[in-house]
Amino acid sequence: MEVEKKRFTCIICPIGCDIDVELQNGNVVSMKGSRCEKGREFVLQELKEPTRILTTTIPIKGAKWAMLPVRTDKPIPKRLLSKVIEQLAGIELQAPVKMYHVIVKDVAGTDANIVATRNMKRTTTTRRKQPQRDIQ
Amino acid sequence: MDVEADVTVIGSGPAGLTAALHAHESGAKNVLLLEREEELGGILKQCIHNGFGLTQFKKDYTGPEYAERLIEELEKTSVQYFLNTMVLSLSADRVITAVSPEKGLFHIKSKSVVLAMGCRERTRGNIDIPGTRPAGVYTAGVAQRFVNIDGYLPGKEIVILGSGDIGLIMARRLTLEGAQVKGVYEIMDSPGGLKRNIVQCLNDFDIPLYLSHTVTEIRGRERVEGVVVSQVDQKMNPIGGSEQFIACDTLLLSVGLIPENELSKEAGVELTPITKGPVTTETMETSVPGIFSCGNVSTVFDLVDYVAETGVITARNAARFAGGDWKEEGNPVEIVPGENVRMLFPQRYSFKDDLILFVRSAKPIEKPVKIEFPQVGLSLNRLYARPNEMLRFKLSRDRLKGVTGPIDVSIRER
Repeated sequence: MEVEKKRFTCIICPIGCDIDVELQNGNVVSMKGSRCEKGREFVLQELKEPTRILTTTIPIKGAKWAMLPVRTDKPIPKRLLSKVIEQLAGIELQAPVKMYHVIVKDVAGTDANIVATRNMKRTTTTRRKQPQRDIQ
Repeated sequence: MDVEADVTVIGSGPAGLTAALHAHESGAKNVLLLEREEELGGILKQCIHNGFGLTQFKKDYTGPEYAERLIEELEKTSVQYFLNTMVLSLSADRVITAVSPEKGLFHIKSKSVVLAMGCRERTRGNIDIPGTRPAGVYTAGVAQRFVNIDGYLPGKEIVILGSGDIGLIMARRLTLEGAQVKGVYEIMDSPGGLKRNIVQCLNDFDIPLYLSHTVTEIRGRERVEGVVVSQVDQKMNPIGGSEQFIACDTLLLSVGLIPENELSKEAGVELTPITKGPVTTETMETSVPGIFSCGNVSTVFDLVDYVAETGVITARNAARFAGGDWKEEGNPVEIVPGENVRMLFPQRYSFKDDLILFVRSAKPIEKPVKIEFPQVGLSLNRLYARPNEMLRFKLSRDRLKGVTGPIDVSIRER
């Protein structure tokens, strides 16, 4: 029976273990190089369906800054990253927003929510003054 | 004096926030935190990616979440903070001159001072890239600020020079925002950033990484029109004939960080070429009594968890100093980089506290290594040593009690 070999670099922590896997009929027959159980779980998930946390920003009005940072509240399938980004395009928020406020529920059918990752107060003053022109 | 304080912390990034919080927790009564921007948090506010606080909080926070957690804790304490406050100078007797819109020019007399100004990015001027001077050349951190806070995309076709973590993070970020990242070029023969970032920021998005390559010319008049990249030899000199033109409208530089020590120098703080930051003892005290330093102003760390840890150590000792609980415990000894050690921090041991030592190896060893401290009679094992990942060690005060001479530190294969 043909043995298929694959190498993964774990992204769970900064160590970045190189993990070598041998597969037979799609079943794992050996796994070497992982320093902890999380590395093994990572590889099994990568074989099944690679997932990632998505972090991005959404425009916000009435706040000190132009953009609000957001994230998915759990990992989502890697293949859906761009679909989620597309679904977020066009959304514009209004301050104030509280941290972990849910902005989009079940985004792109991933079962994950898009949540704010900081508090953003409402402010009435604009952040930057227009540059003064003293030359006619 | 306009303001008096027990402990004054300059800068409210991860190091400063942690130091202010823990100075309070260590019993300092009057703790003051100074920030030149209009809110607390420093660079964390623009680092919207996750991976913060894994060891410190056992959580996978983004930069803003990590900052909010510290700020929420700080708000519950009596720590005072001044925003929009720029420190203009610091004297050896711990008088700070600062300026803000609310207070104008004012002075702070502090029993101890904590330097937590962080670091700044190396720019085109630091690495001398020949060519024209068009718009479209940015450091990776500036581009990060544009995209994540101000909502501007710096360009559409992007080349990144340097494979530091910020460059890798921005490669992914710009791709998600619709830009085309044509490649990351690294002059060294190994990546500068963490392996996990190579995987999740480059490989996930099929962005190519070219090792032993650099940008040898920038072209374009008003705006960047492209760059010339060249392969380099083992001495990092460009190889003639390997030049290749890459059309792009933006060049991002992720070519290293330098501790920001203008204030430290003014106060007469001794700096070291090993870290480009202040020489400190294990208490994080600099060469000037009562002035302490922590975080990236001391040495550029890989992880925010380490930055915060130095903030805790600094706070504990700055509070002790302010409280008058401070006496010399014998002559400090030097900690000296030995075989295969490029960087170590701190560089002195003064017998007052446990020693948390950070060491960076000169060359990668992907095999089990031992880190030897011959004068301490100690050898510690690690699974590998990589120049882009600091090693951290804790040596207890008891263990170091009898040491008389300099402490050498070497990394060897096991």
